[in-house]
Amino acid sequence: MPKALQLAWIVPGTLLVVLLFAMFPAVLHSDPMDGVLHVDWKNGFSSIRDYVEGFGNGQAFRYLSGSNELSFWSQIGDSFSITLFYMAVGALAGITIGVLLGVYFAVSRAAWLKRILELTSVLPDFVIVLLLQFLIVYLATETGFVFFKVASPTMDDPAIALPLLSTVIIPANYMIRNVALHMNLTLTEDYISFAKARGLGKTYIIFFHAVPNVLPYLKADLHKFMGILFGNLFIFEYLYNLNGVTLLVFSNAFAFGNYQYNLVVNGILTLFVLYAIIFALLRFFIYGWEKVVVR
Amino acid sequence: MNKTLFAGLFITLVIMAAALFGKYFAPHDLNESQQVSYHVDPNGESTLIVPPTPPSGDYPFGTDKYGYDMMAKLLAGAPYTIFGSIGVAFARLAIGGTLGLMLGFFGQPKKCREGRFSIWNLLNGIPIFIIVWMIMIGITMNPLTSTLKMTLILTVVLALAGIPSVASTMREKAMVLREKQFVLSAKSIGASPWTIVRTHIFPHMKESFIILFVQEIVIVLGLFGQLAIFDIFLGGTKMTFDPVEYSSLTNEWSGLIGAARDNVYMYQWVLFIPLAAYILFILGFHLISVGLEQLYRKRFAKVSQI
Repeated sequence: MPKALQLAWIVPGTLLVVLLFAMFPAVLHSDPMDGVLHVDWKNGFSSIRDYVEGFGNGQAFRYLSGSNELSFWSQIGDSFSITLFYMAVGALAGITIGVLLGVYFAVSRAAWLKRILELTSVLPDFVIVLLLQFLIVYLATETGFVFFKVASPTMDDPAIALPLLSTVIIPANYMIRNVALHMNLTLTEDYISFAKARGLGKTYIIFFHAVPNVLPYLKADLHKFMGILFGNLFIFEYLYNLNGVTLLVFSNAFAFGNYQYNLVVNGILTLFVLYAIIFALLRFFIYGWEKVVVR
Repeated sequence: MNKTLFAGLFITLVIMAAALFGKYFAPHDLNESQQVSYHVDPNGESTLIVPPTPPSGDYPFGTDKYGYDMMAKLLAGAPYTIFGSIGVAFARLAIGGTLGLMLGFFGQPKKCREGRFSIWNLLNGIPIFIIVWMIMIGITMNPLTSTLKMTLILTVVLALAGIPSVASTMREKAMVLREKQFVLSAKSIGASPWTIVRTHIFPHMKESFIILFVQEIVIVLGLFGQLAIFDIFLGGTKMTFDPVEYSSLTNEWSGLIGAARDNVYMYQWVLFIPLAAYILFILGFHLISVGLEQLYRKRFAKVSQI
C-alpha cells in the first residue's frame, strides 16, 4: 500500500474502530431476569445509527451528567487542557528523567538502587497512587500537617502535587529501566571497547557512542511508552478525582443505567487527538536529543 | 544459591499454601460476623466494640464495617486471585507463545516500520483494562450466573486480550533464532520444519517462556487491580443501591482493594491489609522472575565493556 493511501486510511479507519469498540457495552449484557449472556448486535448498530443521525440535530454532542443535559463542547475544553497538561508533563519529564537516570543506572555499580527501582516498577500504577495517598494521610495524622491534597475535593480546588508526582513517576520508571537495559546491551558491543582503546573518556563514550545507539530503541518503543502513559492517566484521574477527559467519560458513561454511546465515542476520539499531540511532541523531543548527542 | 529466586518461591508458596489450607486454621470464617458489644469490667471501665475494629488479638487483620473478619475474607478470596492470575498467564503463554513460535519460524519478516503512525499503533493507546472494561461492564454487575462462571468469563477475556502481545514477543525471539547457524545446519541435514521447531527453536526459548510466564502473572495481577479500581471484580460485582456501593462477590483480593478504595482516610486497615497481601504476592512473583533472569544471565550473557 502506498504511503499516501495508508495515511488516508487512518482517519476513517480509526473512526470505524472507535465506533465498533464503543459498542461493546451496548451489545454485551446479561439478562436481568435469568442472567443469560446476550449479544445484541441490533442494539449496537442502532447506537451507531443514532450517533450519525445525531450530527444533524446536535444530539451527538449532548450528554447527561446526572440529571443535567450538558453540551459536550462546553465541557470538553477544560478537561482537555487538564489532561493535556498532565500528559505533556508526564511524557517530557518521564523521558528526560528516564534517559538521564537510565544512563546513570547502566553504568553505576549501586546494585541496591537498581533493586529498589525494579521493585517499584513492578507495582501497578494504582498501587503507587494508593500508597502515595496513604503516605500523605499517615503524615497528616502523625504531624497534623497535610502536605498535599490527597484528591480534588471539588473541580475548582484540584489536587496538583500528587497527580504531578504520579504522572511523572510511573512513565519515568519504565523509561529508566528501558534505557538502562538497552544501555547495558550497547555497552557490550565491540565499538565501545574500540572507543575505549582509542583513549576516549568515559563520559564521552557514553553520550556520543552509546546513547545515540539507544535512542532508536526509544523511538521504536514510543507507542508502548504512550500506552503506559495513557493507562496511568485513566487510573490517576479517577483516583485523584481530576476533571480530565477520562474522568468525564467514565463518570458519565452510564446515566440512569443507560449507556451513553455518543459521549464514549466522543471521549475516545478526544483521547486519540491527545495521543497524536503527545506522540508528535515526544518525537520532536527525541529529535532534539538526537541533534545534541549525535555528532 | 540464588537468594532472590529462593525468596520469591518461598513467598509465593506460602501464600498459595495459605490460600489452599488456610481456612482450616483461621480463627473465624466468613459466616460469622462481629456483633456490637458493650462490656463493663470490674473497675468500672466500659468498652464499646463496634465493627469495623482495627487489628487486635482476636481479629489479627481487623474486621470490615459489617463485622466480617478480614482474614477470613482474604483466605476466601485468595484462590480466585492466585489461580485466576496463574490461569490467565498460562493461557496467554500456551496460545500466544505457540502462535508466536509458529509465526516467527514460518512467517515472513515484516518490513521495518518502526515509529510509523498506523491504526494498530494508535490502538496501543487504549489500555487493555479499558478494553476489558468495555466488554465486562454490561455483564459484571449483580450477575445471576455463578461466581465461577463469571470468573471464567473474565479470565477468558483477559487471556484473549493478552495473546497478541505475547505472540509478538515470542515471534521476534523465534525470528532471531531461525537465522542461527544450527538451524541452517539442521535444515541442511534434512530435518523437517517441525523437528527444527521442536528440537532447536523451542529449547532455546524455554527460558524466555518461563520468565515471560512469571511476568505475565504480575501483569495479570495488575490488570485485576486496575479493573477492580473501576468496579469490575473477578467473579462478579455486587452492586447495592442507596447508597451505591460495590463489593466483590468472591472476596478476591483486588476486589477487596477496589471496594475499600475510600478507606484511605478512615478504617485504613480495610484497604491496607488486602493491598499489602496483593503487593506481597506480586513481589513474590517479581522476585522469582528476577531470580530466574539472574540465573540465566550467569549462564548465557556477554559482559559490559565499560
